[in-house]
Amino acid sequence: MTGATSAIFEPLCRCFLLAADAAEAATPAAPPTGWNRVIAPIVQLHPLAWGLILAGLALWLMLPRGSAKGRAVGAVLGIVALGLLGSRLLPLGLWSSNVVFWILSAVTVAAAACTVTFRSPVYCAVWFAMTLTGTAGIFMVQGAQFLAVATIVVYAGAILVTFLFVLMLAHPKGDAYYDRVSWEALLGAAAGTVLLAILSVTIGKLGLNQVQGPAEATLQQDVLVPDHVARLGAELFGRHLIAVEVAGTLLLIALVGATAIVSAQRGQQAAEAKHQAEGAQTNLKKTRSSQAGGGEKTQLQESAR
Amino acid sequence: MNEAALLQNSLLVGAALFCIGLVGFLSRRNMIVMFLCAEMMLQGVSVSLVAWGRWHNNWDGQVFVIFILTVAACEAALALALVLMLFQRRDNLDIAAWDELRESNLPAYVDHELPAVAEITPHWPHLTPAGLEPKADVEEETHRSHV
Repeated sequence: MTGATSAIFEPLCRCFLLAADAAEAATPAAPPTGWNRVIAPIVQLHPLAWGLILAGLALWLMLPRGSAKGRAVGAVLGIVALGLLGSRLLPLGLWSSNVVFWILSAVTVAAAACTVTFRSPVYCAVWFAMTLTGTAGIFMVQGAQFLAVATIVVYAGAILVTFLFVLMLAHPKGDAYYDRVSWEALLGAAAGTVLLAILSVTIGKLGLNQVQGPAEATLQQDVLVPDHVARLGAELFGRHLIAVEVAGTLLLIALVGATAIVSAQRGQQAAEAKHQAEGAQTNLKKTRSSQAGGGEKTQLQESAR
Repeated sequence: MNEAALLQNSLLVGAALFCIGLVGFLSRRNMIVMFLCAEMMLQGVSVSLVAWGRWHNNWDGQVFVIFILTVAACEAALALALVLMLFQRRDNLDIAAWDELRESNLPAYVDHELPAVAEITPHWPHLTPAGLEPKADVEEETHRSHV
């Protein structure tokens, strides 16, 4: 479904781009008057600025704010913003590689937005798996085959399943109230939008559309070699051998630490239970000294156990 | 393939992932969703690293991403153990339940009243009856587990 949507939206954002270029090229015949003075600068905004504003608005509308009002509007705005921002992606060369990259990035970013905005944490986790799949596709486009597979196996297969396990252990039934509200949704969305604006303007200022990148032949000898995994392994266990050892130690420490945290909690719970039982015992002694009822005493003893 | 264009596009996607994760981390209140958003920021950085590694024609970006995967796995294990512990203490996943950890001169967070959740009545399709009428399972009809 998303593929079809992207296929519709790619021509659409080309149109947006063309319209923006036309607006940039056109010189105003007469100085704007009246309402035009207010509207003209807004309409003539760069599509990147429009996309960023709409993306921020969409995120704000879609974030949980106590009610479901405006979510549909937010979704529509988000799709338009995705088209506008997608129109800023540079053509990669072949028509097919353009379409593949566009679909992958649209899926990744849309799934990321869904991860952030969905109420139920289980849905959030599943949408995050979708983001990871899109990221793996982008890795694949960049020629990092091992990383694409490792992302799916390690992230989606292990880390995300751990998240889901903890959700099943700790998730209350139904929609919790803290899933239906956010801290300062407007300020959060504004902060993200401003950061994205700064980053995209900075990336645009790198001037990458005028620079000639590394040649295909040099890449074929290094990053894009046919025996990709062998070379990556040689690099990893050659130059970065000590780092691999440190990472292994880190994994071991994390394993021991997680076990220690959970078992410390168990020990504390057991101690609290013991403490409560002792308290009940002292209460029991008081009761025993004041009362002489035999049946009640055994009942209390049972409850203390 | 146009390498410069690939680099710029990947950097933009990575920046978008990072910023969306940031928005989620700042505004969501469920501890597990907050950790998911942190992982998403890591993903954004990974995309950028791989793109730069290809641009410079060396393996460092990809090796760095492998280490990010390792550290993310450690982080997830420790963080989820902590989240489970915090959940058992307060009986919910709300990060606001721990606002006693704030600085001493700041006011406590006051939760505003929420509108009640609308009761969702399940809408079952009406099919034309065929064959023998089966015995109705009341439990199955009235209860629907909520994810």
